[in-house]
Amino acid sequence: MAMKQWTQNSLLGIEYLSKEEILFLLDQADAIKEQRVKHNSETESLRGKRIINLFMEPSTRTRVAFEIAAKSLGADVISIAGDASSLTKGETLKDTAMNVQALGADAIVLRHSSPGSPLFLSQIVNVPIINAGDGAHEHPSQALLDIFTMREKLGNLKDKKITILGDILFSRVARSNLWGLLKLGAKVTLAGPSTLVPKEFEQLGARVTHDPNDALCGADAVMLLRIQHERQQASHFPSLTEYANVFGLGRNIFNRMKKDAIILHPGPLNRGVEIESELADSDRAVILEQVSNGIAVRMAILHLCINYGEIRK
Amino acid sequence: MKDNELCNFDLVGGRLVDPNSGINQVKDLFIRDGIIYYSAPEGKPAEQKFSIKNHVILPGLLDFRVHNRIPGDAQSETVESLTRAAAKGGFSSILAMPNTIPHSDNPGTILYIQDRIKQTSKIKVHLTGCLTIGSKGKRLAPLGSLKEAGVIAVTDCPQSVGDNQIFANALKYAKMFGLKIIEYPQDAYLSNDGEAHESPLSLKMGLPGNPRMAEELVVQRAITLSRHLEVPIHISSISSLGSVNLIKEAKESGTEITTDVSAHHLLLTEQAISQYETQAKTTPPLREEADRQALINGLKDGTIDACNSSHEPFADHLKQVEFDLAPPGVIGLETALMVVLEAMSEKDPFLLIAEKMSTNPHQILGLESPSLKEGKLADLVVINPKLNWTYEPSLGMSLSQNSPFSGYKFTGQPILTASCGKIAWSEFVA
Repeated sequence: MAMKQWTQNSLLGIEYLSKEEILFLLDQADAIKEQRVKHNSETESLRGKRIINLFMEPSTRTRVAFEIAAKSLGADVISIAGDASSLTKGETLKDTAMNVQALGADAIVLRHSSPGSPLFLSQIVNVPIINAGDGAHEHPSQALLDIFTMREKLGNLKDKKITILGDILFSRVARSNLWGLLKLGAKVTLAGPSTLVPKEFEQLGARVTHDPNDALCGADAVMLLRIQHERQQASHFPSLTEYANVFGLGRNIFNRMKKDAIILHPGPLNRGVEIESELADSDRAVILEQVSNGIAVRMAILHLCINYGEIRK
Repeated sequence: MKDNELCNFDLVGGRLVDPNSGINQVKDLFIRDGIIYYSAPEGKPAEQKFSIKNHVILPGLLDFRVHNRIPGDAQSETVESLTRAAAKGGFSSILAMPNTIPHSDNPGTILYIQDRIKQTSKIKVHLTGCLTIGSKGKRLAPLGSLKEAGVIAVTDCPQSVGDNQIFANALKYAKMFGLKIIEYPQDAYLSNDGEAHESPLSLKMGLPGNPRMAEELVVQRAITLSRHLEVPIHISSISSLGSVNLIKEAKESGTEITTDVSAHHLLLTEQAISQYETQAKTTPPLREEADRQALINGLKDGTIDACNSSHEPFADHLKQVEFDLAPPGVIGLETALMVVLEAMSEKDPFLLIAEKMSTNPHQILGLESPSLKEGKLADLVVINPKLNWTYEPSLGMSLSQNSPFSGYKFTGQPILTASCGKIAWSEFVA
């Protein structure tokens, strides 16, 4: 395998990857998925490795997917949740990470509410750091599995119109997808309430609109983001009902969308808010495929990042 | 002040730059019992003679915004380390902010700090008191008692009183005692906890943005209240282009507004935190190049009266955390002068430096400006303008190292600081 195309031993964000690296990783994930599905077998390229999942924020999907991915590659996985760790006793992330390294971790998968915390960790410990979501900064594994799924359904993403609708301001998923999709040549529209989709995103390469019609009609793929109402009680929008009325994907607007447009959602889903419940279950929604693809994509991430050190020698 | 310091010395061959007396020429100074003489007095030999050809002598610098950590956080800074850092940086006086723990909102805390100053400082330390109790913006602090205890100005820096009614009353009340009011312009609601300047960069980094309007609204409020209540207000540490414009207009219309800027805002932009560098997380946040240029121009055209270091020491372990958990603030006493020198990028910046860092800050606070005139108490700084050196925070006098200028190559260095007639710092081997 042409491993020299992969140069990262940590995955801190999509922003730091080249187009070639993204495609290489997606191809790896393709191969892994095919082997798993068609041949029902695993590569076990991480046998004997110890991976620590350090999850300082609640997570179900991402944590479990990383666990399954690591175990499928033959690695030992230990998951530490923030509320069960010494951080609740006043230990700093720096000290926790140094202890985890001292315990013999070969990689740390980090979920943390602070933007930039994976970069911070990578400067402290010398094991690969996989960012499993850092505040509103990046969620690279999610974006890679989203892009993987879009590529499966739409083929080459160059010039494809992708709309991300919802709470963009606080979304790491939106940011990671934006970087990845732009690098692959897609046209990205960010949409949602003006309080949650700042115009400044245009300077980062996206098109911004607050009109759901404009955002959805003509899109090849629509990614709906969860409205994180626990964060926006303050003043970003009046109520979930109002959000559902103005920005929710309902039957009317769905009928005006492209007939083959796909609907993605990174979860967790608020049925009846971002999307009408029956549409979430329609054959145009690829939400559960995203989740399954997440395993192959995360296997590719772990395999490449952890084995990269050996390859570099 | 400590006694038994060297107060009989000669400074030979240096150039005096003093906007107070209009002196700008090479002249030898003979300091005897702390007093400046232009010719060596008979019968009083110097204990030390410093040959300072090609050096510049300025009146002693006053730093308008310094955060003292005593009482409360001796790991980050003591009064001794703070004042040594100031003296090393060329400051013969500093103005200490009131966000100690507990806050300097009561005479007891002020008296305690004064005792530490008396025991350990070689420079003048002027104190501020809180404008409101605990700087919480709810109840007025006992300004009369604070004045009696010795504070010369009142402020809730690094916060601003949120309630307009309380702020207006605080202004009226402080005016009665002749206390200088210093406003730190930051709207607590709009500033989003102030992590980073609101921009495409902060958006990209996923950091809550602190927008320019959070500062400019409070600047405008200060201007409006100053006009209506006829109270002079000093607005400290402005950082945005819009603030410069607002203050320029206000000054042109005769409003009694003065302002200062933190040195690092003249040299750095938000790019300094692009890799989540907690050592460059400041209050207010570093902004964009257009803001930086506006601040430099404002300083040169007289809109901005003074420069401060906004020295905010934090022990290493407090800054070696996730970016959003790190407290904002950087140290600056030992670099501010060099940072301003570099940012000015003028062939002969020293008259401007003397105005912005000595004369104006003293005048704004109602203090007598130090002067290099014969007969005055020696309160001065000697600068070697050509010395190239690399700043290494761990070699500094501050107990903290949270500087964005670690490893930075500077040109120019203060090599001797005298405060109140005595040498407070000297790079010369005695």
